[in-house]
Amino acid sequence: MLKMTDVKKVFRTELVETHALRDFNLQVNEGDFVAVTGPSGSGKTTFLNIAGLLETFEGGQYELDGQDVSNLNDKARSQLRNEKIGFIFQSFNLIPDLNLFDNVDVPLRYRGFNSAERKKRIEESLEMVGLANRMKHLPSQLSGGQQQRAAIARALAGQPRFLLADEPTGNLDTKMALSVLELLKTINDFGTTIVMVTHDQHLAEQAKRNIYVRDGKVSESGEVVSLENAVNA
Amino acid sequence: MNSSKWEIGPIFRALMRNKVGAVLIAIQIAVTMTIVVNSIFIILERAELMKRDSGIDEANSFYLTTTGFATDFNAQSTTTEDLEAIRNTPGVLDAIQINAIPTSGSGWSMSFQTEAGEGLEDEGAAVYMIDENGLNTLDIELIAGENFTPSDIRWRAPGSPDWPETVIITKALSESLFPDENWQFALGKTIFISSNQPMIVKGIVDKIQAPWVGWSDLEHTVLVPEKTLFNSNRYFIRAEPGQRDAIMPEIEEMLASSNKGRIIRGMRTVEETRERSYRSDAAMIKILSTVMVILTIVTGLGIVGLASFSVNRRKKQIGTRRALGASQSAIVRYFMLENFLISTVGVVLGAGLTIGLNVLLVNMFSLPALDWYFVPAGMLVLWLVGQIAVFGPAKKAANIPPAMATRTV
Repeated sequence: MLKMTDVKKVFRTELVETHALRDFNLQVNEGDFVAVTGPSGSGKTTFLNIAGLLETFEGGQYELDGQDVSNLNDKARSQLRNEKIGFIFQSFNLIPDLNLFDNVDVPLRYRGFNSAERKKRIEESLEMVGLANRMKHLPSQLSGGQQQRAAIARALAGQPRFLLADEPTGNLDTKMALSVLELLKTINDFGTTIVMVTHDQHLAEQAKRNIYVRDGKVSESGEVVSLENAVNA
Repeated sequence: MNSSKWEIGPIFRALMRNKVGAVLIAIQIAVTMTIVVNSIFIILERAELMKRDSGIDEANSFYLTTTGFATDFNAQSTTTEDLEAIRNTPGVLDAIQINAIPTSGSGWSMSFQTEAGEGLEDEGAAVYMIDENGLNTLDIELIAGENFTPSDIRWRAPGSPDWPETVIITKALSESLFPDENWQFALGKTIFISSNQPMIVKGIVDKIQAPWVGWSDLEHTVLVPEKTLFNSNRYFIRAEPGQRDAIMPEIEEMLASSNKGRIIRGMRTVEETRERSYRSDAAMIKILSTVMVILTIVTGLGIVGLASFSVNRRKKQIGTRRALGASQSAIVRYFMLENFLISTVGVVLGAGLTIGLNVLLVNMFSLPALDWYFVPAGMLVLWLVGQIAVFGPAKKAANIPPAMATRTV
């Protein structure tokens, strides 16, 4: 599903060169639910950005769903993001001037679906996250948990093969975080591959597999690891 | 074309929820369109007026005034000798004495009617006093009847109330005097000047303008076979093509030296006279053009400002759209479409205001009504201005990286 081989990413300014990822190797299989943890500045978000085709990288190879995406142009990357990847962001990233229906509609329009198909998918995805009765609400009229559910509905509406979540519960209280996590697990149970970047070790432990990133490299990879193991690694 | 990619509905709904900036720009567009369209109409109308053909050979003609001051000054002999000398000067095509100059702003006007009697319907017309050389000197085309003969020409003493028996009129005056007939009808007919003095229409000329360029009946003109015995007279001189500037000082010097009992003054080309007469119109065109350009630029900058502000404010949102699959062209399209919607509100409002201002101008200043196509043309121009102005900020927005979606600041 996702295979990174010796991926490198360097951020350069006039004075400083920062190696965000160094020989980053990772394989995520179809149906996985992978939690990526690591200290601040370890390269988690850079990995997520590259995995989501949000950023390019300097060296190595990245295959997504069997396709080498290392050297795609911007248009092809946009199309792949739209068709194969769903995003869930820490700050939800809903568009504040659009109601939930229009927010979920955004990626579907870029996909080129007709009006009836979009309406069907929007209603189904909002129904799945329990917000079918809030379609005309603006994001500001919802709680944080509801906003994140709406963002998940937006990510799911395009029926992506691969869901990337960046600190999906980072802005939520414990109760809401748990409900979002349950939702993600349900989505994974339906077969969607999920990669989740998080600081929350308890959340990471709920995933099928944990990845620990340090200094731009995968430091630990395997089945669920405990907080102690991760810290001691 | 896939209509789903044109996010008209969501953009419109988003604008409705955050409308202060958009409404202000729409109003600015409306006001700009109102002023620009009416200004262009006024400019074109003025330019059209300025382009009107006076009917005479402007490029090769000039005139001067001779004023006798000596006690023994004899206007008749001086005029006769002067005209003979001028006509014999190499480079001169012809010359006449004339009482007024077309387009100069100063002249004689009389009323003419088709029946004798007080209080009857009449037509005003400018009067030019010329001799048998008048048509050639002025380069006017006689389209019916005959030119004056030397025997038709008489001398007019100062204060004389009488008028000659024959007259040549313009086609435009003929049509106004006899509105139910064709323009040749006036030929040979008797018309009346000053209510009851008869004059027989001896000829009809195609065109010669009156002195007053702002007059609505500018081509209502009559030519009468007279030379004046006034101390102050004008000579109108037509030069051979290309000779005008060379012979002007020559003629001036010759006249000044031939008779010491008069002075020569006010020598001027007809082209210069036309330029002076239309100077206020030319100034108005310049002022209105400047205002139009400034307003359009200010509106364009306003759109650039709003769009740039909007892009800066929505960086994260744009990054999110990119992350969700928007290509760079989709982001450009989004901002162009957003501006198109704002501009549409502006130009529709502007269309109403444009027509309203024109109605006001028609009622207050008797300007003609706006031709219908000015409004859609103005809408198109303002739409284009909006699209051009927003293109830069839209391109800037398209360059926002999709990774902006995951940044926390």
